[in-house]
Amino acid sequence: MSTRKKFPIRLAAGLFVAILIDTVLQLGWKTAVLSLPSDGSPWLNLRALLHSPLFLFVMLLMAFQFFNWLMVLGNADLSFAQPLTALSYVSVFGLSVFYLKESPDLIQITGILFVLVGVWFISQTDHLTQSKERKG
Amino acid sequence: MMGQAAVGVLLVVICAMLEGVAQVFLKKSVLGKVRWFLWISIGVVILLIEKVIYSQALLFLDVGAAYTISSLNLISITFMSRCLLREKVTRMRWIGVCLIFIGVGLVAART
Repeated sequence: MSTRKKFPIRLAAGLFVAILIDTVLQLGWKTAVLSLPSDGSPWLNLRALLHSPLFLFVMLLMAFQFFNWLMVLGNADLSFAQPLTALSYVSVFGLSVFYLKESPDLIQITGILFVLVGVWFISQTDHLTQSKERKG
Repeated sequence: MMGQAAVGVLLVVICAMLEGVAQVFLKKSVLGKVRWFLWISIGVVILLIEKVIYSQALLFLDVGAAYTISSLNLISITFMSRCLLREKVTRMRWIGVCLIFIGVGLVAART
């Protein structure tokens, strides 16, 4: 008989931070790119981007995200943690609707529901394969 | 000769595979204390190569299309976790991954 392993708070916090940073990254990146002059050349856009405080903030977050992700992988299977980060699509969608005033459509809402149900399925599995199971 | 869109699709599929390989190396780096720096370095280099290829793919494809196809990395990562890292991927987890794959595809297709 198999019993589900306890979900560590450290892993939950790491996944939450990963999803949160991913959400901020996606929205921050979009906002930084939207703030660029539309008639600029790619070179001018790149220079403007490198001088943008928002862009530098995004770069800093990316570095933090990398180290947080290594911590998450230390506490969970890759095949468990990676799909769960798709929850950032849900948060980006929600914030885009409420914050950026984008209008949702039926296909997007259906997609979000698929993601949520999929995450529920994965959350019902053990988060970590033990080393003896790995060998077997 | 392949059309431009086909080249773009092929490049994004390659990126999805590379993402899987890179994540496997990152996971390997936290599994043991031996050669962890080597595994992280290989993972980061592969991720950088992936970004370069993805940028090239965007010359041939719309961002929305590229984003949708790149959600294939969910499948590749799960498959490689099973085969290369010997993770226990149950039917329940596969169903979840497939549902998320469809969901992300639907959301990203409208991007």
